[in-house]
Amino acid sequence: MNNVIACRSVTSTLVRTKTSNVLAVLCGICIPFLAAGCGQTPAASFRLNLVESSKQRLTSSQEQQVATILTALFGTPDEPLAPPEIGLDGAKLKLAAGPVRSDIVGRKNGLYREHCAHCHGVTGDGMGPTAAFLNPYPRDYRPGVFKFKSTERADKPTHDDLVMVLRNGLAGSSMPSFALLSDAKIEALAEYVKYLSIRGEVELALMRAYFELDDEDQGVLPQSREFLFEEIIDPVSEMWAVADDAVIDVPDMPSGLDMVASIAKGKELFYGNKANCVKCHGVSGLGDGQANDYDDWNKVVFQAHKTVEGAAEQAGKASTWEMSAEERDEYRGELAWLDRFETVLDGNALRPRTIRPRNLRQGVYRGGMRPLDLYYRIHAGINGAPMPAAKGTVPPEEIWDIVNYIRSLPYDFNGTLGADRPMVARDRM
Amino acid sequence: MVRSNISTVINRSLVPVVNIVFLGLLLVAVTGQSQAAEWASLKGRFVFDGEPPAPVEITADKDVEVCGKHKLVNEELVVSDDKGIANVVLFVRSKGVTVHPDLEDGSKSDPLVLDNKDCRFQPHVGFVQTGQTLTIKNSDPVGHNSNIATMKNSPSNSLVPSNGSSDVTFSRDEAIPASVTCNIHPWMKAYLVIRPNPYGVVTAADGSFEIENLPVGEELEFQLWHEKGGYLDEFTLGGKKTSAKRGRIDFTVEEGGTDLGDIVVDGKVFN
Repeated sequence: MNNVIACRSVTSTLVRTKTSNVLAVLCGICIPFLAAGCGQTPAASFRLNLVESSKQRLTSSQEQQVATILTALFGTPDEPLAPPEIGLDGAKLKLAAGPVRSDIVGRKNGLYREHCAHCHGVTGDGMGPTAAFLNPYPRDYRPGVFKFKSTERADKPTHDDLVMVLRNGLAGSSMPSFALLSDAKIEALAEYVKYLSIRGEVELALMRAYFELDDEDQGVLPQSREFLFEEIIDPVSEMWAVADDAVIDVPDMPSGLDMVASIAKGKELFYGNKANCVKCHGVSGLGDGQANDYDDWNKVVFQAHKTVEGAAEQAGKASTWEMSAEERDEYRGELAWLDRFETVLDGNALRPRTIRPRNLRQGVYRGGMRPLDLYYRIHAGINGAPMPAAKGTVPPEEIWDIVNYIRSLPYDFNGTLGADRPMVARDRM
Repeated sequence: MVRSNISTVINRSLVPVVNIVFLGLLLVAVTGQSQAAEWASLKGRFVFDGEPPAPVEITADKDVEVCGKHKLVNEELVVSDDKGIANVVLFVRSKGVTVHPDLEDGSKSDPLVLDNKDCRFQPHVGFVQTGQTLTIKNSDPVGHNSNIATMKNSPSNSLVPSNGSSDVTFSRDEAIPASVTCNIHPWMKAYLVIRPNPYGVVTAADGSFEIENLPVGEELEFQLWHEKGGYLDEFTLGGKKTSAKRGRIDFTVEEGGTDLGDIVVDGKVFN
């Protein structure tokens, strides 16, 4: 049985690597295992971000360079490294990384692969084996964008934000609570998520840096420490370093607040042109206002599909007999790129889905149901999602009014509160 | 094994590279400043060769009572009656460019105003220098939001209520123009070109442009970009077929200014 599974995973690696010379190296490693009857699974490896490399039209030798730099800086899934400048805790990473195993009685390593990788993938690309069956899709950490946090929209989450998501899960999604794990294990996993994010962001920055090279660089990135740190790594790690001190300052809900008046004010703001909640969350609050938008992760794939379709249409119109030899070579290069990009999208990206604004009548909120959680969401917006920040436009006391109105929405509210008039939960919609 | 080799390469190459870069910067600083005592402008006009396609109308399906009143069209390619190409971006790419002392500090320049007006962004393409303020305004009676998808700067997405405004500044330059969208009105789109120096311009409705106060006699690398045409790599300049790999081309501004005349771009580029 084990052999069958091992064989299958080797074959799927082979299929996937067809698209890339970088990963083709792996095939060399896989084939001996096939010959040996799949007695052992190959060491886990990080997958290259092939959607981005195709988008940036990187050559296979450029992809190889990115992979080499990433391995030098961050190691492998079994042996993670992190440049000390980034400030990640190596001991925590070790506990989370690698295959599931035990070296000391009572201590288990490989927590990420035990608990997370089947959805989020070994690489943290949100494409583990179960990902395609989940809605919403599991988070792809590589762009370094997180939704549910206590910091301003564009800022990174704090360590505690990540811990909270691990502990509580995300209501209404497939992310479960890991509250049964010890504090040490949750700490280790939060650290490992940061590691995968930073690694993914560095990968994106490296791939985008080719575009800025001068002709004399001949398509090769400088490998100097200066370039790698100042241009690529520091901008990423600085954002993470400041996050813990960047928690939004939330003023208390005004004391002695007239709740009925606050809810009425919140309702006015919800429908009004300043906060404009109604545009996406709908007149009924059922989340049926704006239904054809994408979140940032899905938008990347959606736009890549559009690019490929547009380019294919153009290529179809071209007539090769009118071309000079040079133009024909260029045209063939374009077709080869198109063909590869299509294959990459088939094998390395999930089918893009539109995002649904939250149905506010259900009382289920991904990032937590405390008034404070709702305050953060409205103040900062939701990074990666279309939800904009009300900060600067809607003053804090009015944000509290909207919070109070939102919290009244799952109930039939007739305008009066009191012990004899309990709010009644609506039927689920 | 492989890993340790690479990290040695990274460490070893540190010292010479720093020295070379530092020396290079010094040289640029010293020679550059003594050279460019004079400043002049570069101008020209982008012209569409062929029959421009008719503008495609957009049906406003959000806030119809307001946005439906305006005749909205797709602004990816805007060509004037005399075939001038609007919204072409031209900027100096050379890192060592000598910058006019009055223009060095972007924060001292007037803000670039991006208005949400008549349910479209105005201007459609804007140029900002790092440090310069971008003021996002809303002159419409309906609320908007401005979702700025920068790669190196923190992306932002703020609500901009009717008659409201919000300010943004960028600390890092962006190699690729950043898109600005409104999630409430999905047809709205604009682009921002964010550069580390003041030398950039977006062509006017008639296709003309002028970059002022460029250092005279300095060979500078420019880059040309258009939303639909991408990096313009083939055009006719001064009657001669010219190619500019990835839209990069060198110009030197002469004393009294340089007029490039018509830069004619084959309409097929915009298909």
